[in-house]
Amino acid sequence: MTRRLIALVAVLAMVAAACTTAAEDATTTAAPDDGTSETTTADTAPPTTGGGDTMAAVQERGSVLCGVNQAVPGFGFTDAEGLFSGFDIDYCRALAVAVLGDAEAVDYVPLDAAQRFTALQSGEIDVLIRNTTWTASRDGGEGATFLTTTFYDGQGMMVREDSGFTSVDDMADVAVCVLSGTTTELNLATRFGSIPYTPQTFEDNETLQAAFIAGQCDGWTSDKSQLAGVRSNFPDAEGGPESLVILDETFSKEPLGPAVRDGDSQWAQVVDWVVIVTILAEELGIESGNVDTFADTENEDIRRLLGLEITDSDGNTSVFDAGLGLDTGWSADVIAAVGNYGEIYERNVAPLGVPRGPNALWTEGGLIYGPPYR
Amino acid sequence: MTATTAQRRSAPVVVSSPITWARTHLFRTWWDSLLTIVFGALAAWAMVALVRFVATADLTILRVNLANFMVGRLPRDQMWRPALSMVLVMAAIGFIGGVASASARAAATEAGLPFRVTRPVEILRRQWPLLATIAAVLALTRSIGPTVAVVSGLAAASVAYLLARRSPPVVRKWAWLIALTMFVAAYLALTVAGGVGWNGWGGIHLNLFITAAGILLAFPIGLLLALGRRSSLPAVRWLSVTYIELIRGVPLITLLLLGIFAIGYFLPAGLAPGAVARVLTAITLFEAAYIAEVVRGGLQAVPAGQREASQALGMTPWKTMRRIILPQALRATIPAMVGQFISLYKDTTLVSLVGLFDVLTVSGAANSQPDFLAQGFEVVTLPFVALLFWVGSYSMSREARRLERRLGVGER
Amino acid sequence: MATVAAAASSARPPWWRDLRVIRVVAQVVAAVVVGAALYVLWFNLTNNLRAQGIRTDFEFLDQPIGVNIAGSDIGSGASVRRALLVGLKNTAALGAVGLPILTVVGVLIGIARLSSNWIVSKLAAAYVELFRNLPPLLIIVFAFRAVVLRLPPAREAATPFDAFIVSNLSISVPGFRAQDGFETFWLLMAVALAVAVAVWVWRTRVFVSTGAPHRRVLWSVGLILVVAVVGYLAIGRPIGVTLPTLEGRAIRGGFTGFSSFFAVMGGLALYTASHVAEIVRGSIQAIPRGQGEAANALALSGFQRMRHVILPQATRIAIPPTINQYLNYVKNTSLAIAVGFADFVVIAFQAIGNGQPAPQLILLVMAGYLFFSLIISLVVNVLNRRLQLVTR
Repeated sequence: MTRRLIALVAVLAMVAAACTTAAEDATTTAAPDDGTSETTTADTAPPTTGGGDTMAAVQERGSVLCGVNQAVPGFGFTDAEGLFSGFDIDYCRALAVAVLGDAEAVDYVPLDAAQRFTALQSGEIDVLIRNTTWTASRDGGEGATFLTTTFYDGQGMMVREDSGFTSVDDMADVAVCVLSGTTTELNLATRFGSIPYTPQTFEDNETLQAAFIAGQCDGWTSDKSQLAGVRSNFPDAEGGPESLVILDETFSKEPLGPAVRDGDSQWAQVVDWVVIVTILAEELGIESGNVDTFADTENEDIRRLLGLEITDSDGNTSVFDAGLGLDTGWSADVIAAVGNYGEIYERNVAPLGVPRGPNALWTEGGLIYGPPYR
Repeated sequence: MTATTAQRRSAPVVVSSPITWARTHLFRTWWDSLLTIVFGALAAWAMVALVRFVATADLTILRVNLANFMVGRLPRDQMWRPALSMVLVMAAIGFIGGVASASARAAATEAGLPFRVTRPVEILRRQWPLLATIAAVLALTRSIGPTVAVVSGLAAASVAYLLARRSPPVVRKWAWLIALTMFVAAYLALTVAGGVGWNGWGGIHLNLFITAAGILLAFPIGLLLALGRRSSLPAVRWLSVTYIELIRGVPLITLLLLGIFAIGYFLPAGLAPGAVARVLTAITLFEAAYIAEVVRGGLQAVPAGQREASQALGMTPWKTMRRIILPQALRATIPAMVGQFISLYKDTTLVSLVGLFDVLTVSGAANSQPDFLAQGFEVVTLPFVALLFWVGSYSMSREARRLERRLGVGER
Repeated sequence: MATVAAAASSARPPWWRDLRVIRVVAQVVAAVVVGAALYVLWFNLTNNLRAQGIRTDFEFLDQPIGVNIAGSDIGSGASVRRALLVGLKNTAALGAVGLPILTVVGVLIGIARLSSNWIVSKLAAAYVELFRNLPPLLIIVFAFRAVVLRLPPAREAATPFDAFIVSNLSISVPGFRAQDGFETFWLLMAVALAVAVAVWVWRTRVFVSTGAPHRRVLWSVGLILVVAVVGYLAIGRPIGVTLPTLEGRAIRGGFTGFSSFFAVMGGLALYTASHVAEIVRGSIQAIPRGQGEAANALALSGFQRMRHVILPQATRIAIPPTINQYLNYVKNTSLAIAVGFADFVVIAFQAIGNGQPAPQLILLVMAGYLFFSLIISLVVNVLNRRLQLVTR
């Protein structure tokens, strides 16, 4: 009897050991919010905590769970060694720098298009930065809150150069490859309307690409940025990038940006302002290379943005804190680690051959605009 | 009667030469000959094409991505962890084999039957497809590390086998606990002290883990369901039957989709299991129903007289079950259980459809890397993945058939 | 002694040892535990769904699907219900084409495995060992990536014999078309079928009463064939053949199937056939050797031995596991999700991805497959009971 008891206890102990190490990795939303603020000076407003506790969970865990793509060149891509790189990846890292001070404190969670919102709702990820389009039904029905758009995109169609198609209206009875479970499918159906066509829906980009290259479909529809990425990587054996052409017309508006769960406004604001800070940095001419050179600048906007001391006319010094719950100087760290919006764009998207277009700063005719950091 | 003495004639000498063999086996009738010619040509052509393909195939994609195929995205500086884990698992398997051999020898000695021990070398020779595949995979590696790990794993398995075979009965009594400890240690080797939780695993390692964990977790549930199905209490029986028939009637992919999309809704808010946990839950629920059927088959194989005899001896139902019925039943199920293990191993490829980074996903990802895109390397990666599954499945089914023969299942 | 016996039979055991009470209590406890667990799950489910604003009813079935489905005429405004029915139809097509093929291939290979010709039996053994040990998903993916995708691309479809159109998008074969007089022909064939059944019964009765060979297959099938040919010529070609033609990109005429359909169907048929081959081989080997030896002693030819002695007995053993394999085939067709063929599960998955509620859709899909498998289970059980030899 005692031997059986010992055996039972031993088994339970081992199971407990195994489970706790697994639990360290699984996501659980942590203890109630402590909402501490790191500011020290008197001038600043007390921090607002807006319900939800993702911030505390992230800090306790020591890493940000970032839902990303893994097969989209330029936005979310893994190489043979398993290292992630891309536009969205850089924003994950920026977020990690802002909240945890370490750009590598990110756990990347690659997700299918179909599962991304489930993962967000269930808490498996803290933030979804994955080429996701901001739509009303996603805000409302999918339990997501979308933040500042990082990339204004549109849906387009890519065909082979020698097919002779100049517009979707030429493409009657043609097979078109599309990813399942995305707004792309719905927009495609709307655009074609009464023109007959054969949709070939695939679950992952990889099979889709194989089908397109083999000619099973003559058109590939997706966000134009993704098409540009695919086009730039098109192997020379199949004709290289010149053999593909992205049709001019744009089916739909696709504003891409990060998304967080409903109900946690503090976290949402943090993510939002990490993005905005990179935009403001480009507006103010701050780059990752020259962040340290602004110690003596007279420009108050820059001083506020970088968390430098501001001396007002009466000689009082203060450091601006917006009350987001982040350490002072977080914005300088973010810019030093990943750069400003322009640098992020140049590093990841420009090599694909996509011009800034609507993604230029508002001062240059684009839509990228940052609210003031004050 | 021609002669009074019965003349003894010696038996006719059968000259067995390749010609006679060919005549009986290949060219007996004209139809036979026709079949031989047609299919012989077909087989020859296929063999030549295969050999030519294997000899000239460009295996760079495999070489470059070998770590991805084996362990997915595990950080490359943590590769000692899966190596250590593999050594522990192989030691555990060797240990179990040794204990089984020792028990068989004890039972045979008790019954007065002869018993021949199997040397580890014989086992390795029997499993030559598995070893050949391992050698082929090691030939693709670019450093000495994996080879060292595999060799030490095989050595550990042999040592454990030999030690376990000579172990005293007390060790044999607690063998299941020792084996379980080793498996848990193998798991912890991957996760403790800054290791990688199971959401970071991938490749064939993830497939193997899901198989092992799935069977392990599903076994107790399946056992309960099987007992419930044979219960005389209508409510319990009805519940078991409903569950078993429900799960066996749906494809595994629907349960996986349920796991991915819907499990979150069934749990209280705030609990957010990762993708692997959800997939494992779905697979456990799925396997439990099939294991229940396997165990039920085993329970049916135990003659009714056994239960009647134990009742006559005044044993309680619980004691009957524990000491008489279940040992015999579970012994009868071993081959079918191995079959179920193989079946689950093959079914783990489905997790690639729900976004886990298993070996089939790696094949796809490797083919979309810029260096290998659109160059038709699927004919290299897919057969490679197929080989990994085929050799595991084939080796295990051969062992199961051998076990069946040795255990004399169905021959009593 | 007598008093003990009397006491034992007249007094009931205390209620905590009374078997009848324990039985009832145990069942109540089991029901309560399971019921409570289910209730907790249900409670969590409805709460969480409501918190996310996701509906819990089945109204979504009337919502528009929003996407087009390859190969069907329903527009993107059709309801989810109609789209799911299209998916069901596609799954049924996979079954209708695949099940006969896999039966034929499986039986042939099973018999070939036992052939006395060394090459044939070794080749059959290699086929079975190869396909049985591979995952079906892998076979389908390979059939798609390495076979189907290597067919000519859709824009340069091949047209062998001018009667087929082959590309990696779709394969078209000549088809049939109803012309004038089709209804009359159809009626005629129905009448012929009824008469053929009557002839079958009549010939069987003749055989039973007189012992003359019934040749009922010859009579019935012959009758149907004669009526078909005579009727066809008399009515004047009620069925026409249409050859598929390419008009630009559209294909007019003939029967067209998607190449991904063939990838799924072909891969699964090959896989399931290997299991059926093993079943057939096992059931033939399960027949006592004496049966074959007796057939030889009676000077039956090899074919006669198979047809009259071996196969009838083997069929009895082989049918239940074979029907199980059919069920596995139908369940495995859900793997079409990997190659983009619009079957039942795939369309449900598409709907989920486009915002329809996931739990209800997945439950609907599971109910669909469950329906099929319960029917097949029932058939197997009935067959089992009728075919079984009675034992203790």
